[in-house]
Amino acid sequence: MIRVRATFEKCGRAKYISHLDLNRCMLRTFRRSRLPIWYTEGFNPHPYYSFALALSLGFESSCEILDFNLNEELPFDEIKDKLNAVMPEGMRIVKVAEQKQKITAIAKAEYSFSLVSDEADGLFEAVQELIASPEILIEKKTKKGIKTVDIKPDMEILSCTKGEKSVDVTMYLPAGTQTNYNPTLFIEALRRAADISFEPCNIRRTAILCEDNLVFE
Amino acid sequence: MLREKIEKHLLEVQKPSRYIGGEVGSIIKDKSVIDVRFAFCFPDTYDIGMSHLGMKILYSLTNERENYWCERCFAPGEDFEAIMRENDIPLYALESLDPIRDFDFIGFTMQYELSYTNVLNMLDLAGIPVFAKDRTDELTQIVIAGGPCVCNPEPLADFFDIFVLGEGEEVNLELMDLYTKMKKEGASKTDYLRKAAQIEGVYVPRFYCFKYKSDGTIEKLEVSDGAPKIIRKRIIKDFDKVYYPENFVVPFTEIVQDRVSVEVLRGCIRGCRFCQAGFIYRPFREKHTETISREVKALCENTGYDEVSLASLSTSDHSEIDPMLTKLLDYTVSERINLSLPSLRVDNFSEELLEKIKRVRKSGLTFAAEGGTQRLRDVINKNVSEEEIMNTCRIAFEGGYSAVKLYFMMGLPTETDEDIVGIAELANRIIDLYYSIENRPKGRGVQISISCATFVPKPFTPFQFEPQDTREMIEHKQKLLLDSVKTKKIKVSYHNPDVSMLEAILAKGDRRLCKVVYTAWKKGCKFDSWEEHFHFDKWLEAFKECGIDTSFYANRRFEYDEILPWDHFDYLVTKEFLIRENKTAHQSKTTPNCRLRCSGCGVNKKVGRECF
Repeated sequence: MIRVRATFEKCGRAKYISHLDLNRCMLRTFRRSRLPIWYTEGFNPHPYYSFALALSLGFESSCEILDFNLNEELPFDEIKDKLNAVMPEGMRIVKVAEQKQKITAIAKAEYSFSLVSDEADGLFEAVQELIASPEILIEKKTKKGIKTVDIKPDMEILSCTKGEKSVDVTMYLPAGTQTNYNPTLFIEALRRAADISFEPCNIRRTAILCEDNLVFE
Repeated sequence: MLREKIEKHLLEVQKPSRYIGGEVGSIIKDKSVIDVRFAFCFPDTYDIGMSHLGMKILYSLTNERENYWCERCFAPGEDFEAIMRENDIPLYALESLDPIRDFDFIGFTMQYELSYTNVLNMLDLAGIPVFAKDRTDELTQIVIAGGPCVCNPEPLADFFDIFVLGEGEEVNLELMDLYTKMKKEGASKTDYLRKAAQIEGVYVPRFYCFKYKSDGTIEKLEVSDGAPKIIRKRIIKDFDKVYYPENFVVPFTEIVQDRVSVEVLRGCIRGCRFCQAGFIYRPFREKHTETISREVKALCENTGYDEVSLASLSTSDHSEIDPMLTKLLDYTVSERINLSLPSLRVDNFSEELLEKIKRVRKSGLTFAAEGGTQRLRDVINKNVSEEEIMNTCRIAFEGGYSAVKLYFMMGLPTETDEDIVGIAELANRIIDLYYSIENRPKGRGVQISISCATFVPKPFTPFQFEPQDTREMIEHKQKLLLDSVKTKKIKVSYHNPDVSMLEAILAKGDRRLCKVVYTAWKKGCKFDSWEEHFHFDKWLEAFKECGIDTSFYANRRFEYDEILPWDHFDYLVTKEFLIRENKTAHQSKTTPNCRLRCSGCGVNKKVGRECF
């Protein structure tokens, strides 16, 4: 059994494929590719594959991670080409390689998004203000109910620039098996803090990283 | 443009992937080189419409032609419809995301009566006038329909330009070919419809005008513009060679029938007298094992589905069923594909067949017994004896099954209280049988589910003349059945009789019902087949406002010599045969299946060959 890690893009119309649907979609993609996928043993054998992180509906990504096993060794490029030949529109494998790190090494993810508004100046100030505030409290739904958390200590702003009709932000947020923050938490906090109408656009995950900010591989 | 508008709101709705296309297997073409754009519309939501096999066939078939482009279109859910109306998003097709009002053909498949209001709603959402008379006479926007319901399309006649009778694989292309030619000649829509009406299987309702007697029945039908007096449905003569797609559009979201489906036979040899499909899809034709096997393999490989279902009215009637299943299972088991076999009959359910099914699934077993007593089963020509039902249950129980689901109909012609009590008694005897079997499943009780539908008389069946039970009669029978069931091992469920009544009215209705359908839609009726959207009170208001007596259609016996709203259609089965069968039913006599003996329904004479 050969363990393989694929990195894939999910863009355009593919951003409307929910995580649950993505599972089914990948199963069929594997079958179409006719790659020698490894099946689990036991009562109900099924092909083994798993996504490192779930991606919210409507988000694009250039860096999704998909782990799966093969029955025989094949050149990485061949695996990539066979999958890309049968992938849905908007989804493309950019890299196939061995699994260097454990999934638990994932610590954070990089996101970029634009906040489109007719009052870009005011919005830019509001974003700056929110970033500078000592705490950013949000209400997060958990299995045990709604709890209030401060996302400020865990988030890291990489850039915040003002466009003609938008404010463009890139940031790190915690991701992985422990804590997962979604950029919509920040956006919702902004909505409550600022009395300016805006629309979040082009939310995109651009990197999955380890604790040391190196790309997870 | 439109795509931006759509995407702006897509995350506000349930299951957005239904509204944006881009699925594997969907076909994109360069519209600048296309002669005919065809919007294939299913008048229900994506999840239901995408499961429809006919759409898959006609979609692929049309797109095989380089210069024709067939796209898909469905009724949006309530949430998205509100957004579309609010933001001026016209109904669009999923491949190009272009508005369907700009298409050459807007084609609907009419699978059930309760989807009629959705047609109007979709036309309206598209920005197309719902009445055919209000649309442009330029040669564009041909609104067309096919499917089983168009065997009596009169309640929809005012909304459509063309109805296609029978199987569409050939005639659809003929209509598009004629369109391409006449479009180049600069013809008008009326010119086109006159020519189209000359094609076999094509009904252009505007050339036909009904006159009524004072008692409300039809006096005569006047035909104009040189259209034929009788329209004969189309059939595919060589079914084994008929076009079948090698690929399906594979949806992202889960749909009702989320699997490969291969049609193994068309038509039915049985002649159950209530069953419309059993008559309108005649003659019986099969595909060879080799053909079926090749189609299964191609579709599984191209779609990536790991489940296959065999589609037909009665799969076990295929003459090569055993070798076929053996061959298919060899392939599916080795490829880890599930094979499911709906539509099995009680009477030829062998142990070997059960063994084969068990190799692939172990869910419950479902049988359509339809009638509670032998007398009633003879009336409806469900040629199934109690012995056969018991024998099948025995095989199933010995094979490890402990749950059986039985389908019945209520309100069948000649039905008495005795027949209703008979349903419960039959279920009791199955329970007794279970406990008499020594090697029954250990430690499990038996569970019998009884599902009761209300009988709906349908055109082109021997029961087309029959009145439907009134609501009071049905309610009495439902109560009687519940009172007759005295054990928790039997579970009873039944359909809403109001739904069945509306079905009967629309199925047997004439052109005067168009205004009722329109009025009901105006009052907000849509998705009538969805329990939560069914508003019978609004329908009753619509009937009242239009001065239509529902009992005239639902609860009246149609006379043998009466001109029926569908008498100008030739579905190959003759009216004489249907009358003969109706009389035989009232004598509680059965008619053997077509393989045992030809009963002279008329199909073979017209097709020009023996069926067997």
